[in-house]
Amino acid sequence: MENDIAISVKNLHKSFHLPTERAWGLKQAIFNRLKGIKGYKEQKVLNGISFDIHKNEFVGIVGRNGSGKSTLLKTLAKIYFPEKGSVEINGNLIPFIELGVGFNPDLTGRENIYLNGALLGFSNKEMRAMYDEIVDFAELRPFMDQKLKNFSSGMQVRLAFSIAIRARGDILLLDEVLAVGDAAFQQKCNNYFNEIKGKQTVILVTHSMENVRKYCSRAILLEDGKIKLDGDPKKVADAYEKLWD
Amino acid sequence: MAIPNFLYKNNRVLLKELTITDFKLRYQGSVLGYLWALLRPLMMFAILYIVFAKLLKIGGDIPHYPVYLLAGTTLWSFFTECTSQGIQAIIQRGELLRKICFPKYIVVVSSTLTAVINLLINLAVVIVFALINGVTPSLTWLIVPVLVFELYTLALGISFLLGAINVKYRDITSIWEVLTQALFYAIPIIYPIAMVAATSTTAAKIILLNPISQIIQDVRYCLITKETITTWNFINNPFVKIIPFIIVIIFLIWGSWYFRKKSKRFAEEI
Repeated sequence: MENDIAISVKNLHKSFHLPTERAWGLKQAIFNRLKGIKGYKEQKVLNGISFDIHKNEFVGIVGRNGSGKSTLLKTLAKIYFPEKGSVEINGNLIPFIELGVGFNPDLTGRENIYLNGALLGFSNKEMRAMYDEIVDFAELRPFMDQKLKNFSSGMQVRLAFSIAIRARGDILLLDEVLAVGDAAFQQKCNNYFNEIKGKQTVILVTHSMENVRKYCSRAILLEDGKIKLDGDPKKVADAYEKLWD
Repeated sequence: MAIPNFLYKNNRVLLKELTITDFKLRYQGSVLGYLWALLRPLMMFAILYIVFAKLLKIGGDIPHYPVYLLAGTTLWSFFTECTSQGIQAIIQRGELLRKICFPKYIVVVSSTLTAVINLLINLAVVIVFALINGVTPSLTWLIVPVLVFELYTLALGISFLLGAINVKYRDITSIWEVLTQALFYAIPIIYPIAMVAATSTTAAKIILLNPISQIIQDVRYCLITKETITTWNFINNPFVKIIPFIIVIIFLIWGSWYFRKKSKRFAEEI
C-alpha cells in the first residue's frame, strides 16, 4: 500500500442473513432443517464498494437510511468481516460507532475512562497520558470519582465524546455523534473539528449536510450499497439533498 | 493489523480491566459485599453437611469427612459458576461486540476469571478448615494448583464451545442448567465413591472416568486423606486411566476451534 493512503477498500461486498420466521432457538432450527427451509434470507447491504482514503482527509459518508453507511463503517472497524473484497488499514484506527460503548453506570467516571480506553485498545499507561486532556475537554473534573449513574445524560455524552476526540489514533471513525451537549460544548467541538481538519484522517457518517459542507474535504454518497458519488463535499451534499426532490 | 493473541499487551490490559469490572460489579449494592463470594459456598456446604452427613449418615468412615465434603462442593461450585458465566458471556457483552472490534475470547475468559478469584478465596477456606480438622499438611498439597488448572481448562473449553452455540441457540443456557443438575449426582461430591464401588465396580470406574470426578477425588487425595479412591488407584489399565485427560483436551481444542470459527459472525448474529 502506498504510504499516504490510510484506508484502502477494494470491491467490498457484505450481506446479512436475516431470519425469515423466528429462526432463533433449537426447535425452529430442527424444524427448518427437516422441512428444508434455509431459515434466513440473504440481504445484500454493500455491493462492490471501492475507494482509497488518503492520510489527513476528512471524509463524510452520507446516504439515506439503509444505504449501507453504518455497515461500511463497521466493516472498516473490523466489527464485521468482509464477505468479498478487502479492507486495508494503514495505522491505528479508533472507531466510535456509538459514544460511551461499555460505559457502566455503577463505575465512577474515572473507571469508565480507563475501561473505555482498554476497549479501544489503549494501555493503562497511554490512558494515563490522555486522562487529563479528556477530563479537561469534558469539563467534568469535579465529578470523576462519582458513579456514572449520578451524571446527567448530557454530562455522560460529554465524557464519551471527549474520549472519542482525545483518543490518539491515526484514523478516527465517527458515526452520527456531533449533536451532543449544550451550545457551549457544541462550539468547543466545532473549534476542535476545524483544528484537526487536514491534520488527521477522519471518517464521519452523518445526515447533517451542514457538517459535511463545514468540515469535510471529501464526501461519499452511498445508495443501495454502491457509491453514487465520490468527491467534492459541496457537490455531494447538493446531490444528497436532491434525492428527495 | 496483527493477529490478536494473548501475548499482545493491550489484550491483557483489556482482560484485566474487564475482569476487575466484573468482580467489582458482582456484589455492588449488597451489604456484605465480597463476603458473599465466601458465604454462598459455605452455606451450600452447611446444607449438604446437615442433610447428608448428619441426617443420612453418609461418609461416616471417611476421615475428615466435613472437609472432604467441603473440598468437593467448592470445586463443583467453581465448575458450575465458571461454565454458566462463560456460556452467557458473549450474549451479556453483545452490545459491546456490536460496537467495537476486539478479540472475542477475552469476554469469555474475563467472565470466568471472576469464578477463579472466588475459587482461590474458597480454597483458602478449605485449607483453614482442613488444618482446624487436624489434617497434616503434606507435599502433595502442591499438586492441587495443577488439578485446579485442569478443571479450569475443562470449564473454559466447555464455555467456548457452548457459548458459541448459545449465540444462535439460546436453548443452550437451559439445557446446560439441567445437565449440570444431572452431573452433580453423577459425580461423587455428596456421596463417597466407595458406596458405589460396593454395589458395582464398573459403575464406580465409569464415574471416575469423568474428568470432574477425577479432579475432585485427586484434590481430596492430595489435600485431605490418602484413603481416597482415585482414577489412578482404582483403574488398572493405563490407557483407560488417561481418558479424563483426553476428555479435557478434546473440549479445549474443539471449543477453541469452534469458537474461533464462529466468532467472526458474533457481531451480526447476536
